[in-house]
Amino acid sequence: MRSVTINPSKICQPIGAMHATLGIHAAVPLIHGSQGCAAYPMRMFNRHFREPAQIAVTALGEGASVFGGRDNLIASIKNVISRRNPELIGVITTCLSETIGDDVEGIVRETIDEIEEVEEKDVIPIVTIHTPSYVGSHITGYDNALKAFVTHLSKEFDESDEKLNIIPGMINPGDIREIKGMLDLLGVSYTILSDISDTFDAPIILPKPSFPNGGTSVAEVENCAGACGVISLCEHAGGSAAKFLKGKYGMRSDAICPIGVSKTDRFIEAISDITEKEIPYELEKERGKLIDAMVDVHQLTYGKKAAIFADPDIALGIAEFASELGMEVVVLASSTSSNAFMNAAKEISDGEILNGNDLYDLHRTVREKDADILFGHTMCKRSIPTGEDNIAFVRCGFPVYDRIGYYRYGIMGYHGGVYLSDLIANAILDRYGQHG
Amino acid sequence: MREDMRRIAIYGKGGIGKSTTTQNLTASLSTMDKHILQIGCDPKADSTRMLMGGKRQRTVLDTLREVGAENVKLEDVMQTGFGGIKCVEAGGPEPGVGCAGRGIITAINLLEENGAYTDDLDFVFYDVLGDVVCGGFAMPMRQGKAKEIYLVASGELMALYAANNIAKAITKFAERGGIRLGGVICNSRNVEKEQELLEAFSNAIGTHLVHFIPRDQIVQRAEINRKTVVEYDPESNQAKEYFKLAKNIIENDDFTIPTPIEYEELEKLMIHYGVME
Repeated sequence: MRSVTINPSKICQPIGAMHATLGIHAAVPLIHGSQGCAAYPMRMFNRHFREPAQIAVTALGEGASVFGGRDNLIASIKNVISRRNPELIGVITTCLSETIGDDVEGIVRETIDEIEEVEEKDVIPIVTIHTPSYVGSHITGYDNALKAFVTHLSKEFDESDEKLNIIPGMINPGDIREIKGMLDLLGVSYTILSDISDTFDAPIILPKPSFPNGGTSVAEVENCAGACGVISLCEHAGGSAAKFLKGKYGMRSDAICPIGVSKTDRFIEAISDITEKEIPYELEKERGKLIDAMVDVHQLTYGKKAAIFADPDIALGIAEFASELGMEVVVLASSTSSNAFMNAAKEISDGEILNGNDLYDLHRTVREKDADILFGHTMCKRSIPTGEDNIAFVRCGFPVYDRIGYYRYGIMGYHGGVYLSDLIANAILDRYGQHG
Repeated sequence: MREDMRRIAIYGKGGIGKSTTTQNLTASLSTMDKHILQIGCDPKADSTRMLMGGKRQRTVLDTLREVGAENVKLEDVMQTGFGGIKCVEAGGPEPGVGCAGRGIITAINLLEENGAYTDDLDFVFYDVLGDVVCGGFAMPMRQGKAKEIYLVASGELMALYAANNIAKAITKFAERGGIRLGGVICNSRNVEKEQELLEAFSNAIGTHLVHFIPRDQIVQRAEINRKTVVEYDPESNQAKEYFKLAKNIIENDDFTIPTPIEYEELEKLMIHYGVME
């Protein structure tokens, strides 16, 4: 094993936690760390979603690193509450605050007590999310955040409200809309935990509201305990929260990433099973359209050698769809190392499996395996020559910032599958022409 | 985790005899039919050595370094020693490198994830290195990991200075975290008026002296034989002292939020009891 990473494939934990927090209505992520820990992810969000992201930071300096970040954290919480008036604060730790061992839960409780004593009213929920970046990746951060939200906020309920909880993971606003579309067709009421579809893809409305009109409300998160079930679309990013909900409230739980025909079938069936809703003709029609789109491009896609790089669950989903399109998955790579990914990947592909390797390894393997088409985010393109005379390239995942609008469209579900199928076919046409 | 499980952390100045005291204490408790998990939180990883018959066990952090966090298995890092005591060493980095405080946080998180805190346990002991020097070493005090803290001290200025410092740390976590000071254990170094001094010090910081353990050569003899005194010679006077300590801890119901004192006040105490001129 190399003892150096060349072009890392993963981002750090706090960015995942920020992503999750920004899906809650009027929530502010408060990064407990040095300034760069907020500036870099904020810029990443701006470039991918073309949208501002309100992120606060406790701005730990040399003094706080030595004496502890208590004073900074208390002042920051008070500042954020008085200036922004949010409905929730997610206090997100960083390498620095984790390593110096700040007692973040204790400091948060202390601050809440102090404010409540002065103001004589309840303080908004302030949820601590532990995200040391030297553990896991952005996916782990998202997972930790969701678990913290449901653990901290969910409340005992009297009777089930027949809703279904969906934990999306780090996917695009477009994907969430595809999921909502399918749930609407099924006639299922739902709570998306958490929903970035209108916060990271917000309309411009004047006068500008202080927070985007969207996201899951705190009340919805509080009531998620009463749902009939929970489905995590990305088990690595949300699976822990689902496990908690299942364990504590006994709700049914499943994990399916609905990319491609068979996985979307399984997704629809699981929902129909949990909610006892009939599958409507409309969904069959959408499925038929996807099959039609696949048949239309089959002569282009058949036999092409695909290299897929994404977050673990998304990578597995795309790999299955690629197989359905008659492609041969020669490289299947996850941004984040995980035993579960390794086992599932072996089931899908006989090719090379990269489990959390860097983009240098990805590049090397793509060449070795002589892949025809690469799936990945913008960073891949920087390490692997694509386009004319090189490999065909389909953009997916986070971040995509060298093209406009990718966040708007989903690749999940039948309808999203049509879009993905088109992207694949067009990438092949661009690179290899009409005759493949 | 069982609600009535006693969660205890032992703190004190380096070299004061924390590990010796803790091991003899847990050994005594084990003879009273108690189920115990002892976690050494010291990079030296020698907190459970005598319980293990001198065998050095693989530490949690060594295992993490070798196989990665995902693959750490409980059976690799938890051994059963004298009296069925489950022994774990957190371990840590080499001197002069890395961050031992973070090591303690990582090790305790890994133990929790791997289900080390089983329902059959009556006691969990954390034996923590020296003074509280940074946030990591306060980890056992946080989030209810330990509920009772005992300070090991003796009749010398630096030992009491360290004990007083730890008391300061406890007050930080006491109000919200619910941890309490259970008392002071004197591991005697045989100076004049030591018991009186320790009692006065304990009172000054708002607690009591749990037990005064006299100095006895048998401790060293047992240690050479890689045993606790309780195992080496359970009939000895010293073993009886440890049994007494165990009994006092079982019966202890005096848990307080400490009132640490100023350095000047500490000096005055030392002068009053003739330890310092």
